[in-house]
Amino acid sequence: LNSTDQGTTRHSIQQMYDLTRYLEHQLHTLAASYLNYLGPPFNEPDFDPPRTIGAKAVPSATVDIQEWHSLNDNARLAANYQAYSHLLCHLRTMDGADAAAVPTLHHSLAHFRASLQGLLGSIGGIMAALGYSLPTPEPPPITPKPVPPNFLRKMDDFWLLKELQTWLWRSAKDFNRLRKRVPPSAVMLRLESRRF
Amino acid sequence: VQRHSQQESHVHYAQLGTDVTLQCGSVDPEATVTWTANTTDLDASHLNGSRLVLHNVDLSQSGQYSCYEGTSWHLKYRVNLKVGTPPKEPVLMCRSNNYPNGFYCSWHLPSPTYMNDTYDITIIHDSKEIACKKDIPAKNRCYIQYHQVFSSKKYRVTLTATNPLGSSSTTISFDEFSIVKPDPPESVVAKPIAHNPRRLQVTWQYPSSWPDPDSFPLKFFLRYRPLIIDQWQHVELSDGTSHIITDAYAGKEYIIQVAAKDNEIGTWSDWSVAVHATPWTEEPKHLTTEAQGTETTTASTSAFMVAPTARPSDPDDAGN
Amino acid sequence: LVQMCGHIYPESPVILPIGSSFTAFCVLYDTCPYYDKVHANQIFWKTKNVIVPKEQYHIINQTVSSITFNDTSTLISPLTCNILVEGNIEQNIYGIQIQLGYPPEKPENVSCIVIQLEKKKIVKRCTWEPGRNTYLKTNYTLKSAWSNTNFPDCIPEDVNNSCTSFDDVTFFVRLYVWVEAKNYLGEVNSSHIAFFPEDYVKPLPPRNLFLNSREFPTVLRLSWENQFNEPPLKLKYKIRYRSADSTNWAEVPPEDTESERTSFTIQDLHPFTKYIFQISCAVSGMSRYWSDWSKEVIGFTAE
Repeated sequence: LNSTDQGTTRHSIQQMYDLTRYLEHQLHTLAASYLNYLGPPFNEPDFDPPRTIGAKAVPSATVDIQEWHSLNDNARLAANYQAYSHLLCHLRTMDGADAAAVPTLHHSLAHFRASLQGLLGSIGGIMAALGYSLPTPEPPPITPKPVPPNFLRKMDDFWLLKELQTWLWRSAKDFNRLRKRVPPSAVMLRLESRRF
Repeated sequence: VQRHSQQESHVHYAQLGTDVTLQCGSVDPEATVTWTANTTDLDASHLNGSRLVLHNVDLSQSGQYSCYEGTSWHLKYRVNLKVGTPPKEPVLMCRSNNYPNGFYCSWHLPSPTYMNDTYDITIIHDSKEIACKKDIPAKNRCYIQYHQVFSSKKYRVTLTATNPLGSSSTTISFDEFSIVKPDPPESVVAKPIAHNPRRLQVTWQYPSSWPDPDSFPLKFFLRYRPLIIDQWQHVELSDGTSHIITDAYAGKEYIIQVAAKDNEIGTWSDWSVAVHATPWTEEPKHLTTEAQGTETTTASTSAFMVAPTARPSDPDDAGN
Repeated sequence: LVQMCGHIYPESPVILPIGSSFTAFCVLYDTCPYYDKVHANQIFWKTKNVIVPKEQYHIINQTVSSITFNDTSTLISPLTCNILVEGNIEQNIYGIQIQLGYPPEKPENVSCIVIQLEKKKIVKRCTWEPGRNTYLKTNYTLKSAWSNTNFPDCIPEDVNNSCTSFDDVTFFVRLYVWVEAKNYLGEVNSSHIAFFPEDYVKPLPPRNLFLNSREFPTVLRLSWENQFNEPPLKLKYKIRYRSADSTNWAEVPPEDTESERTSFTIQDLHPFTKYIFQISCAVSGMSRYWSDWSKEVIGFTAE
């Protein structure tokens, strides 16, 4: 990357990092409302259910600490890209909070989905800028499954929200490492790139 | 009278406040014996045949009890009575102050048992048991090393306290991210800024126990107030380890503390040790000018060690 | 049912660019109660009751006469095709409505502002210059998208130079915005602008201001509640104050209120004086917009 591209990429990584922290904050509020919508026991702090089959399909952010430290930029970005591609699919099949019953929650969920789509786009854009190829999309993990009983569906939603929170927390650390690796040679570019 | 005192010593554990009956070994329950407590004869009122009966025992009744055959003063039986209580439900706390290296769990009993209590801790994560290495100096503490991070599965920790009078256990479960609580920031320095009567420069360092500031940056919360006022002012700082207070009362000595938290997860640290500083003040013209603004980093003797919760709270914040 | 005697092509309504050329054709039907045999050369054209000079006519054949306007600027609706019937009576054969206008010009100077309406309601309002009047019904549509997502169109209401989109704003993702202008005569898009919403936020001002004067006669401590809470975005502030009997505002140096906070101590005030304070905030970093000033709060310095 020449210094201009480096500056643009660094700025994009900073934006991606800020977006991740912004999403964390959004999800924190959304998850609390959604778990309250699901009602007990889902909204109890010590609720620790077994993972449902649906939950097992959700990509886990858990990683060996040494492996995490040693990930190169490409692998680190690819892991995030892949995760959010899957998470977005799951998010679309989430119970979704009946729009009529809880309009604000439904609205927040839709906004969060859109914002997560934005994060996916940001990750993809940076991978392209750094010359990495996007991970080949695996077949969507969600085969049209028979609608599980209501409680299990809620369990799926519970685990999805929790995995999302964990991924966003991991991504913030991932992207924090990335932004420190691209030197701020042309931070002033942020000024230039904000025409009008 | 020469007492024959060769006898193997037994132990009898008794719960505080209960009645205790000590047998004189295999001696006939109706035989005539004499009991001594730590070489002090016990009067017959405590005897029921050859058995010694103690009512509503208390701690002072712990000790060595000896039973002698009535006339020959031959020691028939010796027992060490230990009075205490079974352990109550232990208080267990796990915390990660050096994330992501690992976390430690520490525990204590809510009230003393006056007995030798032993502890057994099991930690389950993702259906696997994880070893907890005992912390040598700290008896009631052990350390768990993270091999995996960013887990959405809870850790479940069970601690069982046992002593001869019984056992009790506590189980807590928590998420990896929820127990992250850094140690307070270190090397807090506050000093005036020349020619700025309302400013104080505060600098600090990451807690030395925080292993990877680069990958796991901390954010900080700074609170400050003049010594003569009880209400704190607060500023939250998302990065960096310095701040300039811009609205300090001219000429008033300030007390300043800093707390730290992971950018994303966990809770705020306790407040750092307090430091004091007074903003720069104009020297009156007639006096010979000395170096102005001696750097004040003396740690205040009164350490404000208040554990913050949702955000670093102040003792006087409780009402807010 | 009145029997038709002829027809003009193209059919009404005809929408034409001002200044363009236009040709219409009047076709006489064989059967018509008003005449037996009429030749196309008997046709005369009128624009809003004014006869058009014959030089602009062209007889195509016995039943078809055409008229051409090289510059429609003077063409006034309606355009009618007429003949004189027995008794020198003017008989209208057919008429069409003509609308003149312009295709939309490329919208210019598109700019947006992100406005916080309520604590959790942040919307995007964009404005542009639509260019000259088209004199025609012209639809302006504000479009927005990310590199991988299109957002619903924003359709202006009653105006043609601004639109407020009530979709939630997402910060830290570069947003592309442009305006599409479309009418019968043409369609054009403005240039795309790209911006980060967080650089164009106009937050709500802090509220619940409170002045505390317990400490010193020349000091007041202003505290407040921030209404804008979108981490990791931070706020900076402007604080102004004046004594009640003055109209001149003094302002705390902005560099003193650059970090996010909920209180500030103002010094060097006059003792035992009534003061009025206001505060405004903006997003730290690149934001161009400050909030409105907050409600005033009154406080008194001690004696």
